[in-house]
This record gives sequence, C-alpha cells and structure tokens, in this order.
Amino acid sequence: MHVLTSLLEESEFMADFEPRIVAFCCNWCSYAGADGAGVARLQMPTNFRIIRTMCSARVDPEFVLRAFSKGADGVIVLGCHPADCHYIGGNYRARRRIALLRMVLEQYGFDPKRLKLEWVSASEGEKFQKTIVEFVDTIKALGPTPLVKGDE
Amino acid sequence: MGFVDKLKGLFKAGAAEAKAPKAEPAAAPKAAAKAAAAPAAGGSTMQGSKYAESCALQPIPGYVPNLGAPANGKIKLALYWAAACGGCDVSILDSDEKVLNIGDMADIVMWPVAADGKEHDIEEMEDGSITVSIINGAVRSSENEHMVKLLRKKSALVVAYGTCACFGGTPALANLVAGGKDEILDYVYKKTPSSAAFCEAYPEKPHVPQSEIQVPEGTLTLPTLYNSVKSLDQVIDVDYFVPGCPPTQETIEGLLDAVVNFVYNGVALPPKGTMIGVTKKTLCEECPRTKENRRMDKILEPYQVDVDPDLCLMDQGILCLGAATVGGCGAKCTRAGQPCRGCYGPTDAVSEQGASVFTAVASLFPIIDEDPICKEDKIIDIMSSIKDPLGYFYAFTMSKSLIKRSVKEGGQ
Repeated sequence: MHVLTSLLEESEFMADFEPRIVAFCCNWCSYAGADGAGVARLQMPTNFRIIRTMCSARVDPEFVLRAFSKGADGVIVLGCHPADCHYIGGNYRARRRIALLRMVLEQYGFDPKRLKLEWVSASEGEKFQKTIVEFVDTIKALGPTPLVKGDE
Repeated sequence: MGFVDKLKGLFKAGAAEAKAPKAEPAAAPKAAAKAAAAPAAGGSTMQGSKYAESCALQPIPGYVPNLGAPANGKIKLALYWAAACGGCDVSILDSDEKVLNIGDMADIVMWPVAADGKEHDIEEMEDGSITVSIINGAVRSSENEHMVKLLRKKSALVVAYGTCACFGGTPALANLVAGGKDEILDYVYKKTPSSAAFCEAYPEKPHVPQSEIQVPEGTLTLPTLYNSVKSLDQVIDVDYFVPGCPPTQETIEGLLDAVVNFVYNGVALPPKGTMIGVTKKTLCEECPRTKENRRMDKILEPYQVDVDPDLCLMDQGILCLGAATVGGCGAKCTRAGQPCRGCYGPTDAVSEQGASVFTAVASLFPIIDEDPICKEDKIIDIMSSIKDPLGYFYAFTMSKSLIKRSVKEGGQ
C-alpha cells in the first residue's frame, strides 16, 4: 500500500487532464503480457502504474477502494483468461468480486467504467497495449475522479 | 423476583451496612427480621414484612453490594449523547445491579438523558477535571462537535461508546446521500407527503429550519448539520473504544470493571486505543453453529428459510457478516437465528469491514461448469442477488470506510 501512495503522489497536476491509473497485473499472465508489450516496443500512454500481484484474486476489494480513496482516476485489474488461471479458479473469484465492487462503486456515485477487469495472457502484449489505450481513453472521457477531499 | 425488587433489596442491604461498617452478610437477614417483627407502620404497603423478607433472604450470588465511596474521593463521570438513537444510554442500565457501582464510585456531572448538569456547568469546570467521559453517537452537527470537543478538554479519559461513536454507525449511512445535508433537509421538510402538504398550504414560509434568524432582540441560532457524519475519533482524541449496537452487557461490564478496578484497587487501565470487550478473532469463533463450508447459490432472507438451529447461516444462504466482524458480543444474533449485521466492526487485521465481507461473500458463490465460457452479464446477474451491497456491508462502518461518502461524477 505504501507503493500505491507514493506512486499516486508523484504525478503532478497538469492543465490537460492526464488520468492516474492503477493497474493490478497477475504475476503469471498479465504481468508477463505487459513485459511482452514493453519488449515489443509497443506505444502506450504512460498514465498507468503497474502493481504486480500473484493472482487477480489477490486483489482485495480494499486495494481498489484504497486506490480510489488516494485519488486514482481509474483502476484496471488484469488476470489470466478463464480456464487459464495458475491457481485454477482465482480469476473466477476475481470476476465475482469485481462485479460486486462495481455495484458498490456505482452506489457510491462513481461511474462503474472507472473499474475494469480484463484478461491478458503472457503472450498477448498487443492486447495489453490495446486494453491500456482504450482504458485511458475511457477515463479521459470521464474526467478526473469525482472524489473530493475534505468535504465537510 | 423482578429486577426492581432486586434493586430495592440491594438498597436495603446497603443501608444496613452503612449503619454498621464492615457488616457481615448476616446484617441483611437481621434487618429483614427487624422489619418482619415490626408491624407495617403507617400502613406502608411497599415496606410490608413479606416483601422485605423475600428481598433479604435472596442475595444476588457473587455480588458485593455497596462498594462505598473510593478512598480518594469519588471520580467525576460525564455521559453524552451525540448523533445516535439513544439505545446506548439505555444500554448502560443493562449492566443490572452493577449500575449501582457507578453511583458509589462517581459523581455524574452530566448525563442529559438521566441526570442534571448543563453545558455551562461543564464549561466552568477546570480542564481535565472530569475523570471519564463516555460519549455515544457519531458527530453530525455543530452542536455534537462543540460538546465533544468541550468534554475532551475537560476530561482525562474519553470513551467512544457504541458503534456510532466508534465507526459512524447507522447515522453515517446519511453520507450516501449525494446532495449532502441540503438534499436531506430538502427531502424531509419539503418532499415527504406531510411536509409537501404543508408546503402547498403555506408556500411563503421558509420550510427548511434556518440555522440563524434575525429577531428584534438579536440573532437566534440553531446548530447546523454537516454533510458528512464522522466517528468520534475523527473529531477528537479518543482513549478507549467500546463497540456494539448497543454494547452487550458483558462488554459494558468489561468497561465498568476496568474503571472500578482502577479507582478502587489502582489496577492499571488498558493501553490507549484499546477496543474494550472484543476478542482477537471473528464472530465465527464464538458462534455455536456448525460450518459445513457450503457454497451459496442465492441470497436468502431469514424469513424465506426455515432456519436450521445448528447450521451456519451462510451455509443456509443467509448473508451473515460474522466472518468479517470481530467477536465479543457472544454471537447473540446468530444464536437467535438472525444473521450478524456487523455492529462490532472489523477485526484488528483489516481496516475496511465492508470490503472484507464482500471478498468473502463473492467467493462463496460456487464456480459453475460454464464459468470458463460465462458472459459478464451472467456474473452480474449472480451478484445482483445481493440487494443494496453498500448499505448492507457498510451498515455500521461508513464513516471509517475508505471512500467515506457518496460522490458525484462530472464535478460538484
């Protein structure tokens, strides 16, 4: 969580809205996919910060809520494709949690599009790039996080 | 023998002891014998001999009546009611006969619901002169904030008593109204059917209570509501927390015993920040129901099921927050067949009770055969069987949640 805090604080306010996005990548598929995208020199916006987790199911809803509470404009969780999980069923659990979490975020008043779950395998560098580009565009269209600090 | 009778018996026994210090337990029967021997003087029916006898012959086991004033003089105690339903104030009386210890031990300088003692009395006291302030309720208005800050200044110890004071409690669900206090006041005073009729009949009057009004004699003010309901420790420094909605009798006794032992025997108080009356583990550790770790196909309400008295409620499809709630209450609700609603708050290990619950709940939905080819809509369908997830999972801890209040997309 300390990593998350420092990552979010380092980016500075800019005139043009540059979203701050936290990407949780599973160790076995998506992180390798992101690596692949880097090795292949695929062009991507630099708005996202990757946090590697052992499995997408390791992403406790608390992590996502904490990212939003620290001012993240969007959170993307990337995991192995269905039937491809290193731990057999972790991604199914993640899928249920993220669905529920999106309901909760919607109740809070966030646009549920600010939280995305996507499957990216170790060989899908291109899909990683495409996912990030699309997500950054979505968040840019939505604007900055609606969270207001110090509202009494 | 009713509770009132017990109390009266104790007062009698106490009075007998006060006359003869260090009175042996036999004093009580003696008093009873005297009462029995004397005719019912003045036709007093309440002091009838039979009544006195029945009181005196059945002392409450294990109870030492009348502690007497502490050697160093009585301590000063203040109890205050902020944004809460009042159940916490009533719950203090749940301590049964131990409530008498409070009278022996302390001068109650303020207890709006039961004793005199006004704001200006407190203001005139020296800083730190109140030994313990027990404050229940969340902080929701300028009055709440003023009073709790005043009590903090005047008190050596402050106890956040009850779930509202500890975590925001049910009042903090008001944080989910996106428009804040204006929307709440507008709804209550203009849109509810009775208010709407009033507004129609008297269109020219200000319908929402004003916090300030000019009259010939000067300005009159009322406290103002805040947009966000806060827990007590978000406003003032708090020494101890006593969770519960309301705290159970055992929890209250834990608090009372700690104070009594400190005042009479000099036993050190627990370290600052202690949650009094909670265990280290979750409620499931205290719950007597057998867990079979079944999966849930759908969520049911207790009235929809013929509740099995021995089986875990989650196994029966009833959404129970026990798995994410700290123990200490003795699992009173689950013993009675009702699911835990989480009023004791999260365990030490997590900060976000709601997130902790839905991590668990989401995992309880079984992995189905079609999961690998399942469309997102199907998953949303499954999860939609949980109605109002935010209100259910954060029913008591909204003030302490990470997001804290509702937000509005597209700027304020």
